[in-house]
Amino acid sequence: MPDTESSVLYWGSDPVRFSPGETIAAALQRHGVTDLGAGVGELHGRYFCGIGTCQACLVSVSGASAVEACLTLAQAGMRLSPALLPGHPDAPGAGA
Amino acid sequence: MSATDVLVIGAGPAGLAAVVELARLGLTSQLVEQRDQVGGAIYRRHAGAGSHVLLLPESHRRRRDALLQSYAAAQTRVTPLMSSVFVGVDQDQRFLIDNRALGCVQSVRPRAVILAVGTVEQVLPREGWELPGVVTAGGMQVQFKETGQAPQGRVLLAGSGPLLLALAAQLAAAGNPPLAVLERAQPLASAWWQAGAVLQVLRSWPHVQEAALYARELWRARVPYLTGWQVQSVQPAAEGLVVQACHSSGVTRQYQVQHVALHDGLLHNNTGLPACAQSDQRLVVHAGDCREVLGAGAAIDDGRRAAQQVARHLGQRCDSAVLEQALARAQRTQNALAQLFHAAPFTPTANAVVCRCEGLRRSDFDQLQVAASAHEMRLSGRFGMGACQGRFCAHHLSELAHQRGIDFDPGALNGDVPRWPLRPVALTALAAYAEPEGDAPCAA
Repeated sequence: MPDTESSVLYWGSDPVRFSPGETIAAALQRHGVTDLGAGVGELHGRYFCGIGTCQACLVSVSGASAVEACLTLAQAGMRLSPALLPGHPDAPGAGA
Repeated sequence: MSATDVLVIGAGPAGLAAVVELARLGLTSQLVEQRDQVGGAIYRRHAGAGSHVLLLPESHRRRRDALLQSYAAAQTRVTPLMSSVFVGVDQDQRFLIDNRALGCVQSVRPRAVILAVGTVEQVLPREGWELPGVVTAGGMQVQFKETGQAPQGRVLLAGSGPLLLALAAQLAAAGNPPLAVLERAQPLASAWWQAGAVLQVLRSWPHVQEAALYARELWRARVPYLTGWQVQSVQPAAEGLVVQACHSSGVTRQYQVQHVALHDGLLHNNTGLPACAQSDQRLVVHAGDCREVLGAGAAIDDGRRAAQQVARHLGQRCDSAVLEQALARAQRTQNALAQLFHAAPFTPTANAVVCRCEGLRRSDFDQLQVAASAHEMRLSGRFGMGACQGRFCAHHLSELAHQRGIDFDPGALNGDVPRWPLRPVALTALAAYAEPEGDAPCAA
């Protein structure tokens, strides 16, 4: 795997290397990131089914609306965060 | 209005076989695939440098290569829409596609539609199944195919069915054998009194060869295949997960692992999909594992059969008798396997999460006083309201309701009218929607 800026994305501020052609989920898994952030009902996001059906691995790319980490190709410079951003009604700490 | 004859959704074995057969019959098709490449989960390719040796029977490899070759040869009649997700059918019967590569939603009004979106893996709601680090066996396998690397750290596989054997053998061959495979059923013991089922499986030589290949690898890597064992709970620990397992005799055992892969069989998948239907305007057909789970080989046959059904709808004459026979054989083999892997019914404990998307547990279900129908369970209990739209919880909820004397089909949890979008769609993609003229894609 070439260790260059061209194959690095970010989980929060944490740099994560990836191989071209692999998904965000694969890159995060290799990097040891299994917890994809707090979600509804005190449960946490995580990679699960790998084919877009369970919707448990939703992440936000550069603050945009959620996509499945298991389907979305990793791209250089992506800034990833949990799908439920602070301020979302279902996000932890949000007012009831 | 699109100029293509047929819309095919899903580029796994069934969808690929369908577009190849349509092309052979002189029909054009649009092929919608959520990933950036064709093949589906079963034929996922290795991304990145170097090669990746996946333990696979030679017959599977040949079948895959033949299908991909015939797809390459059919491409003049196929318009692929990659990184595109089918999100539903609107009130004007337009099929809506979220083209994520272009960042916009597109619509198609085809003369016929073949839905080949694949299976949904079943995972019983054991305590802790919702934790990060717990994946489906299929999820672990597809990621392993893509990265070429087995997960780092200790792995435990549990649940029921032949896929656990295949994955265990593949992980072992890649250098990280699982600590054990815990099989809920007693397939070896039941073989003694299910002689008919054994004979039925033995009649399918490829299945026998495949089982032998995996068994040999598990034997070589000394992976224990423990039947009659099941996972009671998974709990988070300082470094990974602690799995509590028990045998049907009452003996218990604990495993400390980093990864747990669960699998309790595969289910057909019609959640949110338009039903099979035939009218003057349009024919809708389901094909492959989303229609009936019969495996990759049969999915190819079923995709071809669906294409022939479409051709007949469009006025051509063709006969599908040979394919029907092959599918009937596959059905007999799958039924026999299901008999051998038949396990006792499962009841989730009070603390087990039943509906993951909404974070609802068995105890939440028990507290639902007024829910007497699928509809009420959804509206007053929020069961099945989440992003997976009940794909993972509807069957369990239907079982729990049945124990309370309320009977409903798991599909009923979704209501009578399919809700779209079936998947998350960016508002910007919806805003970028434009009524298509000809085949021109929307402006990105």
